[in-house]
Amino acid sequence: MLAQILFNLAFIKPEIALTMTLCAAILTDLLYKNRTGLVAGIVLGGFAAAAIGLATQAGLSVSVFNGALAIDPFSNFFKMVILACSSFVVLFSLGSNEVSAMKSRQGEYYALLSAMALGMFLMVSATDLLVMYVTLELSSLTSYILSGSMKAQKNSSEASLKYLLYGAFSSGVMLYGISLIYGLTGSLNIFTINTVLAHGGASSPAVLIAGIFLLVGFGYKISAVPFHFWTPDVYEGAPTTITAFLSVASKAAGFGMLMRAFKVVFIDTGALGTPGAWSLLHGIDAQSILIVLSILTMTLGNLVALWQDNVKRLLAYSSIAHAGYMLLGLVVLGNDGFSATMLYFVIYMFMNLGAFYVVILVSNNTGNETMESYKGLGARSPFLAVGMAIFLVSLTGLPPTAGFIGKLYIFAALINAKMVALAIVGVLNSVVSLYYYARVFRNMFLRESTGETSLIPISMPTYALLLILLVPTILLGLYFGPLVQFAQYSVAMFGIK
Amino acid sequence: MNSVQLFDIIFYVLAATVLASASIVVFSRNIVYAAFSLLFTLFGVAGLYVLLNADFLAITQLMVYVGGILVLILFGVMLTNKVVSVDIKTGTLQVVPAAILVVLTAGILCSIILATHWLGAGTTDFLVVKTTAPKIGEALITTHMLLFEVASVVLLVAIIGAAMIARREKTQ
Repeated sequence: MLAQILFNLAFIKPEIALTMTLCAAILTDLLYKNRTGLVAGIVLGGFAAAAIGLATQAGLSVSVFNGALAIDPFSNFFKMVILACSSFVVLFSLGSNEVSAMKSRQGEYYALLSAMALGMFLMVSATDLLVMYVTLELSSLTSYILSGSMKAQKNSSEASLKYLLYGAFSSGVMLYGISLIYGLTGSLNIFTINTVLAHGGASSPAVLIAGIFLLVGFGYKISAVPFHFWTPDVYEGAPTTITAFLSVASKAAGFGMLMRAFKVVFIDTGALGTPGAWSLLHGIDAQSILIVLSILTMTLGNLVALWQDNVKRLLAYSSIAHAGYMLLGLVVLGNDGFSATMLYFVIYMFMNLGAFYVVILVSNNTGNETMESYKGLGARSPFLAVGMAIFLVSLTGLPPTAGFIGKLYIFAALINAKMVALAIVGVLNSVVSLYYYARVFRNMFLRESTGETSLIPISMPTYALLLILLVPTILLGLYFGPLVQFAQYSVAMFGIK
Repeated sequence: MNSVQLFDIIFYVLAATVLASASIVVFSRNIVYAAFSLLFTLFGVAGLYVLLNADFLAITQLMVYVGGILVLILFGVMLTNKVVSVDIKTGTLQVVPAAILVVLTAGILCSIILATHWLGAGTTDFLVVKTTAPKIGEALITTHMLLFEVASVVLLVAIIGAAMIARREKTQ
């Protein structure tokens, strides 16, 4: 047993690197007071080490720790997205006024970022419901703390408390669902659960209810309607760096976990079909539930975003809507749908992080995130305004930006699966989203600034970082072949043909 | 009286204690009453664990919840100035939709629980005493090794977070 555990350790190098980063960051912060740059450097170094660890695992497909984790191309793909996003957030934080106002708490802030990355790494690998639950708690717990890390701001504490209450409730419901599933199937391993369900070992109404309870936990993490109520308040109150982190990495982890659980638990492994398409076990209509969830999520997200006057809140509702589009890739029940969602995540990371980075830079200068403060931004800082415009065009999904390619693949997968009506709902939703993104354009370029009119100073590293986000947002809209191939390759999960 | 009847009687007595005291916790406007009735809820749950032959879980429940968390809550209540005399600000909103939802959920859950054949139901005999502690200990450091380690990171994060949020801001 010991030999086996030691052998398994070789497969979780990235996770070990992140755990050591957490410890090293805390110790450094204790030993050297007020050396924030050093702690941030250690965290970035740890992320680099984790990236090397990930690279050594490329192509592996194994199950480790008695079926607790699966190291496969699917989890590696999401881990790359999470790691890239975490590194960007650390870089954003170094230039954020909100973070530097935390003074002596910055060390813990950076240390917790690596703890959150660890939780999310384990989430996308988990193949056991209990591991899923504990790792979900690890990433949620760190998000509650990080959302409330601006103690001086009342909003931030409010966000943290609301997040905690919703999170505690959702994970409680999820845990109840897990206990029901254990009572029905006698196992927590998702592969065993699938086998038991396939042999009719469980009556379907109970499985359905347990599945819905599980979905409460997943839905809360990806902020799907109707489990989204925390999203706007938390996104508005949390430091913008954390908002950006939650909207991309946290969502990616939730989606990774949901996609694996959905596919592995409900797939009918015995059914014959065309390659790449799979069918669900008879008697459990998980597909219809996801269809309803995705329509509700994108429609509500887009419609409520129309009324927002705070750009952070606007982006919060827009991120809810994007979760809806990405759920569309799941309802296809095929590898092309899954790969479309995964492709969308890479693109969404660049454009959404970019939009939030502009919000951070503008609020560094103006001190707030209202729509008012974007008036005349085109004159005050052409670079920021044009950058923001490109990110928003991409979020809308217009060519020639990357956002168009992301949506194209999702809608194409839907049409191939003969779900044209659903694709039309998605397109109509994108049209609605154009309206509220256009309100930001109008304020930036067509309105005069009401207050300050001086130029916003931008440092060289900021330029560089913004360009690193801007170039892929445009480039992936023109040259996307390799990324699409990589996403299609990464659909492969351990244990499923 | 056979053991099955005895089991049922003990179960219903414990369940009633848990439900009654839990509703006092929720509905009481006085925080001291709420904290003290939580004691009975936690004891009742520990009793249910004993009934299900989960001895280790029962002892943990007593030590951690009754011995640790509850005492901490009581001290918190007593040491906090004026909290005893102040009514907690509670309000009830959306009574009708909430009631409909609760009744629906409870109805669905009860009917499903009764209709389903649960794995291993009725196989434990509570008169046969087996200790579970060695098994749990062994599983924690072999089968569930990873979970055990992840849980330790969760606790580390919780401690750091609590310190970070509770620490007094130094004014320079």
